[in-house]
Amino acid sequence: MASPETMLPLPPREDYRDNSMWVDEQLWGHRLWDSESPWLLFLEFLNVAEASKRNGQLFANGGHPLLFKPYKRLHLRNILFNNEVLTRISERYPENGSAWNAWLEWMSVNAKGVIPRDFTYLKGRFHSFQQFVSLVGILRGSAVESETNKRWSSRFVFPFGPNALYEDLNISAAGKVSREYIYFGRTGELLYLMLCRSKKKKDELASRFAAMLSGNNQWNKLLALFQPDGTEDVETRANSFLPYTGHPVFDLLTEDWLHVLSLELPGFDAMPHLVTLGAFHVMLYQLRVSSELLSKPLHFVCEVVAPKKTLVRELSAFNYQENSLLSQKAVEAYLAGIISSERWQLARSQASAFAACKAILEEQVRWPNDPEDYEGCSEPDALAAELRRAAISRHKQHVASVHRQYGRDVGLVSKRGTNRLRYAPTDALLKTLVLANVSRRMEYKEFLDLLFTRYGLVFGEREAEQVLLHEDFEKKAFQTNSHRLEQRLSSLGMLRRLSDACAYVQNPLARGQS
Amino acid sequence: MISQPATRWIRFIRQYGPIPRNDNMYDEHIRKSAKRAGIRPLAFIHPVEQDVLAQFNLARKERRSVILTGTAGDGKSHLCGKIWALMGGSEEQWNSDDVYHTLDIASGDESLKVHVIRDLTALPPHDTKGRYADKAELLTRFCDSLCEPDAKVQFLIAANDGQLVETLHRLPTTDNVARVRTIVESLLVDGRRESPEAKLTLFNLSRVPCVALFDLALDAFLDHEGWKECYASSVADGFFGDRCPIRHNHELLKSPLVRGRLRSLFELCDCNELHVPIRRILLLFANAILGHPEAKDRLMQAADVSTFLQKKTTARASLFNNLFGGNLSEVRRDSLEVFDYLNRFRVGHETSNRVDNILIFGEADENLKPYFDKLLRADTMYGADDSYYAAQRSYVEGDDTDPANDHFLKLLVSQRRGLFFKIPPDWEQELALWELTVFKYAGEYLDKVLKPLRQGGRVERPFLARLVKGLNRIFVGMLVSSDRDLLLATSISFSSSKVSQILEDRIPVTPRLNERVELVLKNDKPTLHVQFSPTISTSLPLNLTRYEFLSRVAEGALPGSFSRECYEDMLAFKSRLLSCLNERRRSEGVTDSNTVAFHLLTLDPAGNPLDDVVEVTHG
Repeated sequence: MASPETMLPLPPREDYRDNSMWVDEQLWGHRLWDSESPWLLFLEFLNVAEASKRNGQLFANGGHPLLFKPYKRLHLRNILFNNEVLTRISERYPENGSAWNAWLEWMSVNAKGVIPRDFTYLKGRFHSFQQFVSLVGILRGSAVESETNKRWSSRFVFPFGPNALYEDLNISAAGKVSREYIYFGRTGELLYLMLCRSKKKKDELASRFAAMLSGNNQWNKLLALFQPDGTEDVETRANSFLPYTGHPVFDLLTEDWLHVLSLELPGFDAMPHLVTLGAFHVMLYQLRVSSELLSKPLHFVCEVVAPKKTLVRELSAFNYQENSLLSQKAVEAYLAGIISSERWQLARSQASAFAACKAILEEQVRWPNDPEDYEGCSEPDALAAELRRAAISRHKQHVASVHRQYGRDVGLVSKRGTNRLRYAPTDALLKTLVLANVSRRMEYKEFLDLLFTRYGLVFGEREAEQVLLHEDFEKKAFQTNSHRLEQRLSSLGMLRRLSDACAYVQNPLARGQS
Repeated sequence: MISQPATRWIRFIRQYGPIPRNDNMYDEHIRKSAKRAGIRPLAFIHPVEQDVLAQFNLARKERRSVILTGTAGDGKSHLCGKIWALMGGSEEQWNSDDVYHTLDIASGDESLKVHVIRDLTALPPHDTKGRYADKAELLTRFCDSLCEPDAKVQFLIAANDGQLVETLHRLPTTDNVARVRTIVESLLVDGRRESPEAKLTLFNLSRVPCVALFDLALDAFLDHEGWKECYASSVADGFFGDRCPIRHNHELLKSPLVRGRLRSLFELCDCNELHVPIRRILLLFANAILGHPEAKDRLMQAADVSTFLQKKTTARASLFNNLFGGNLSEVRRDSLEVFDYLNRFRVGHETSNRVDNILIFGEADENLKPYFDKLLRADTMYGADDSYYAAQRSYVEGDDTDPANDHFLKLLVSQRRGLFFKIPPDWEQELALWELTVFKYAGEYLDKVLKPLRQGGRVERPFLARLVKGLNRIFVGMLVSSDRDLLLATSISFSSSKVSQILEDRIPVTPRLNERVELVLKNDKPTLHVQFSPTISTSLPLNLTRYEFLSRVAEGALPGSFSRECYEDMLAFKSRLLSCLNERRRSEGVTDSNTVAFHLLTLDPAGNPLDDVVEVTHG
């Protein structure tokens, strides 16, 4: 539970001068960012984890203080992503020496953000220019979200190991390098802090990630060849803020990740599941905190996509809309709490009411931050109303969209077969949920119950009956929904029916399974 | 005049069929209705009967409790009744509505209490006779008795598997309850009868191969004296006369060819883990013989025969069509799992050019005529009759939009079904019998894989090679033609990506040192076994669907086009293979070197895999 006991005080104001107020931040942290895809969220997290590991602080001390120095790896990034002439040169110069010369010369003019623009170290490391080009091609092909059209300094090679990790950067035309927060929006830092503050099995988590980040694989070794010897300049990053010292979602996330990692899937096969679960739990975290603040239960009525409109679809769409408003209502409730506090009421009755009330807001929500933030009349009520308006408007810009955006990205929220958003999990998400929860096999109804108790996901009639109003509940509709889920799992090779009365969800990737 | 016994017999077997109130659904009803009609009920010794009864033999020293489980209609109640009688329980007591009975019997020098719950679901939460406090208390006692070696009680519980699992889950958890839950679950899933950890034997009647039940039930059905009554009261131009469809269907079902083909379908159901209970097998027989879409409840009575003969609609009583529920409404047919399972073979809908040419042009084509004559013309009951010729002519000569074409296409479905049961063994290859089903490799699966393995032999090389080729195409995501090694390939990032160009290793099909790929029999099922080292191996149970899938992929089909489930199964298998490979590498000790080396897989124009070794060394 997010409660006053587990809530941290506000961090020093000086560290966050640019924040126009401190409301979303105090409820969920600095910061929830909607336009960060699950993969980028995970990459950002990996960067923090890798840098912490280097410090000997991996998941240590609840992340207090979180200071880390991520890599920039600009040589590698120039080679992989800022280098469209590579293939052309290899075609034009069949002879090895002249190909290298032509390419090195091009790089000495066009490489960005590296001083000096010298890539000659590469020459002795590959058998031929051709080999170099083909390896660059293979590595490029592995890039994360390679289909998107991002600028080169925000493109990421697959996270094979530490040599593949680096932070999101902005590089100006003049070659000036600065940290960019568009794709690494700091939510990855929150994810890292969530794990640091889990009460469960942190040692195991640390040893799993230490192994993953050891980079003991040939692709990571291969990447080392693309970078010059010696250490690079790294800058210290700080000011991540997660307001709770603990929360059940942190523990759930840790358990789920460990469960997937314990399957010891070959190669990097566990990663997509960690990616999905990471973003899923961040979304869950936001909604749980909101619903706790509002003392409302949280659940997700999930439709297993049916060929035509069903009652479950209707209920799911309605439920989705309700949940979409939760975070905004939480902001309103948080502010209402301040306004209805004794302290505020006392200040309001003073002679210098406005100044006293303003002081309270400046202390508790750091607003107005700038004289221009409030230009209304000197009335406490008007001030409070303006705060509410400004806070909601700010909330709606990014934080309010996390539910929709992450929900869609992880495959929980969808418009498939209709024009309204609702919860309709994709096969990939279902697969991830099975891997995170089923060690070997589990009776089907028990599985449904588990998804409900852990995440609030509602598929079958038993769970629906617990959360729906009597007049909304229709047993048959949810039985059919559950039956469709069964068929879907079965088509994924994840369900075995013993008879018409008995079925088991099975994890086909569990060791010893066949 | 049809004799009373014959009419009663037909009425009695009709009760087994898919009619709205079929009294012969339940053991207790069968006994009552047989008694009323003065007919001996259909009976045979169940394949596990001896083993079950042996558990209750008074001379037996170690008394283990017994769970009889299985789906509805598997014969649980029937077996329970037999055990009760064997132990000397009173028939009167058994015939009461009570589902819970106890009996004190002498076992050696001691007395033993036997608790019988003949239907767990129907067990009342509280006993009006006060023999147990509540259901949970009784079942907790049951769990305790299994875990305590000296308990002087024996339980016999009959329950369907779902209810059994659920009831155990709802019990308040104690150590013993938790232990019994796990044991029962693993016995059910792994298909075993006993576990060393509890004094329990679990008979899952749904695990009995349905082909064994088919043989026993069909003999009991066909050899029943009721049919003699029918022959004895045969009426020319009517019931059991020369052209009586009931008689003809009965004789067809008796013929070795029809019986053999139907038996193969049941055997293949077993191979696809589809179980048909006894009740549904008997339903199928009753429907096959009595089915007619125009009869009341779509099943004929003895008196209907003369009517249909007069109306000349006896062809619609075709056994071949009835076997797939063709006489029933779609809704009714879909609601009965036996027809669902049999229709998954799509007999009647799948075909080959050759078969359709025989059916459509065979009458006029010189080369096809011998086939047409033998398979259609000679069959004066269900083969080509006047209405068939008329429909065929209008189909061949008419235009595409003629609505009458639909009628002919329906007749074709029926005729293809007939061909599946009429093509004689010596034409099987030539006419590609199994192409009349969706599983065109099914015949091969039975004859070339299952049979030799069951006889303790080996599967011939080309069949294994084809499977390996299919697997390779899925694992690599390219049209490789290699079938001598299993290619374990990944992509640079994920092992399950569509195209995998990084070759991790090859496992040779021909045994080399400790490595091999082979087909073996595991739990009586063909299984593809891959051995990596003396201690590391994994396997893939090869049911009919997977066999068909891999064979088709090997011959050019795209993996996604046949079965999504199979494709996912193969990717999971690949993941397990790669885990084995990693395990072997770990056990061999990893040498950490500065050399980066990998094999990049490409194909030559013939589809042979070429691997390029890429090697780079860094200071």
